[in-house]
Amino acid sequence: MENSAKQKVIEELLPQKFGKQGKIWVGILLTLCIIGLIAYIRQLSKGLVVTAMRDYVSWGIYISNFVFFVAISLVGSLITAVLRLTDVHWSTPLTRIAEIIAVSAITFASIIIIVDMGRPDRFYNLFIHGRLQSPIVWDVIVITTYFFISLLLLYFPLLPDLQIMLRYKEKTNKWLYKLYHYLGSFWKNTAGQIKMSERAINILSVTIIPVAFSIHTVTSWLFATTYRPGWDSTNFGAYFISGAFLVGAGGVVVAMYVFRTHYKLEKYITDGHFDKMGKILVMLALLYLYFNVNEYLIPAFKMKKPEEEHLRGLFTGEFAPIFWFAVSMAMFFPILILLFKKGRKPLPAFIAGLMVVIGSWFKRYLIVTPTLLHPFLPMQDVPDSYRHYFPTWEEWAIAVGSLAGALLIITFFARIFPIIPIQETITETEQHEKA
Amino acid sequence: MFAILFSSVDVFSQEAKNDLLLNLSYFNNNNSYVYLKATAKTKIDGKFQLVKDVSVSFYINKDSAGNLLGKATTNDKGEAYLLVPASAKDAWNKSAKHGFVAVSTATKQFDETKANADITKAKLQIDTAEGRTVKVKVIELKDTAWVPVKGVELKVAVKRMDGDLNISETQSYTTDSTGAISAEFKRDSLPGDINSSLILVAKVEDNDQYGNLSVEKTVPWGSKFKYETNFYNRTLFARRGQSPMWLELMAYSIILAVWGVLIYLIIQLYKIKKIGRNPLP
Repeated sequence: MENSAKQKVIEELLPQKFGKQGKIWVGILLTLCIIGLIAYIRQLSKGLVVTAMRDYVSWGIYISNFVFFVAISLVGSLITAVLRLTDVHWSTPLTRIAEIIAVSAITFASIIIIVDMGRPDRFYNLFIHGRLQSPIVWDVIVITTYFFISLLLLYFPLLPDLQIMLRYKEKTNKWLYKLYHYLGSFWKNTAGQIKMSERAINILSVTIIPVAFSIHTVTSWLFATTYRPGWDSTNFGAYFISGAFLVGAGGVVVAMYVFRTHYKLEKYITDGHFDKMGKILVMLALLYLYFNVNEYLIPAFKMKKPEEEHLRGLFTGEFAPIFWFAVSMAMFFPILILLFKKGRKPLPAFIAGLMVVIGSWFKRYLIVTPTLLHPFLPMQDVPDSYRHYFPTWEEWAIAVGSLAGALLIITFFARIFPIIPIQETITETEQHEKA
Repeated sequence: MFAILFSSVDVFSQEAKNDLLLNLSYFNNNNSYVYLKATAKTKIDGKFQLVKDVSVSFYINKDSAGNLLGKATTNDKGEAYLLVPASAKDAWNKSAKHGFVAVSTATKQFDETKANADITKAKLQIDTAEGRTVKVKVIELKDTAWVPVKGVELKVAVKRMDGDLNISETQSYTTDSTGAISAEFKRDSLPGDINSSLILVAKVEDNDQYGNLSVEKTVPWGSKFKYETNFYNRTLFARRGQSPMWLELMAYSIILAVWGVLIYLIIQLYKIKKIGRNPLP
């Protein structure tokens, strides 16, 4: 690869300052975060009574949001690890997008679980008095582990790019240069460093897969170890993981389109990438559909009384509009769009990805809340508000604020670091040319 | 006009009084203490309902101030209890027959109501001398002598946590001409306390003449209670630090393996840093 070509790649992939659109986008996200923060301060001062959660529904949209974040974070292991280990090179421009989605999502998964606590000041008790037998403790351990692995998997491949950015001092400001210097000044691109870094990335790619499976399996066990209609299932681990891969892949397709359009990266995130990711998305949607059929058909066939109430609530009752919306958005429509080659073009694939993400958020809500409204014993002598659940403005504000927060991390990351790995792109182009 | 309106409101606000049904029962437990129970009920919408917070005065023989035994108020179950006090000993010893009177205080809802209970002093004697046979005798006070009573229905049971369990399939027994009944204890392997003890109880219930009588006796006929707990065992539902060994082994080895890898990678990062500071020529 000629130096001028290399130069061009570097210049095209270096992080860019926010334009007008970027500033508006950041402004909107910051506003949503501040509103969420205000709502959380209200919740802290007045207690969980400001939410619509009561005796029966004790897990509302906070926990739905938590499950959503954990699910979407799995994409790091899919794109970075699974595709890397299977020697799939076309995914290289997408690895960093996938990893930053993973890191931001897992960060907010941890935050939102604390938000769900009435007394967050007592959180330390989980460490002092936590029992190893409790799936909640397993979740804490596995989320922490996954966060560190994702962070390392983001950091190691970033080292050569940090060195490139340090070379382009004039294209950055003082603070960012200091940050790059702190994070990557020691990277000299020596053979020893490259070898050690490659080895570390391979080890991380292997390690992250079982940990990623554990994180979402354990999250599913938070529900499945409880004997409740809708949760009492041996299918839950696989059901959650397939759903997580789907929403993660959907998130990557959305991010690919946004970065490609906004930063003019058509050369690097090509139509071919959308085509391939579209195919993956269809496969994952079909897989998730298969697990959904298992999850609903078998209890529906047996129709035990408590299950019947729960299923009727979902299919034809109180939750039917959300249920059919979620299933159509997360699975039916994306499959219909992406099955066709034209549907795997950037814009339709982006729309399908967006549908998957939105539908999947509501799907998490349907997994968490309706079960709580169908206890084994009848709800008697309770206020009417206990029989239904509709989140209060504080809950919406906090949930939306957390989603905005996750997007803000991704946005700032893309402002500070190259969203497409520069060195890897150059290396792969060189290898391609040699071949 | 306003006066008429308000007066009419006042008239309507006066509710019609309900009838209070007061029932009085006499209890003699273990031939050692005597108490009275008054039960207050009323009929609302065709259904009997228990009435709480009714003040009841208990009298011996007749309801005059000198014969007052004491006062009690009905609880949530509509029941008011009064232990016959030691101060009533003289009145109690005067006769073999007594009449008790319960008088409820008039309220806005109920008029004053009275209930009577006339009893003849009687007691139960329980004996278990012959193997697992229980003998119970009913005797009543006639003038100054205790004499056996024929034809009294009684139950013999063993006390359990939620009630009394008959000692055999026979529900009740009737005393013969000697005033006695004989019952076989047929509850084998019934858990007792740590000394294998069970409490037998013989009782006469709601007898028109004698009221409610009961007598208890502790017998070593139960199976020995063995305290079993898995509180100290390693189980999935045990407390912190008591998880099953297989779980601890699995969990800690997975945690150590994964975090071992992470620590190794962090060491690699330091090595990469070190190489960067002193790159090879």
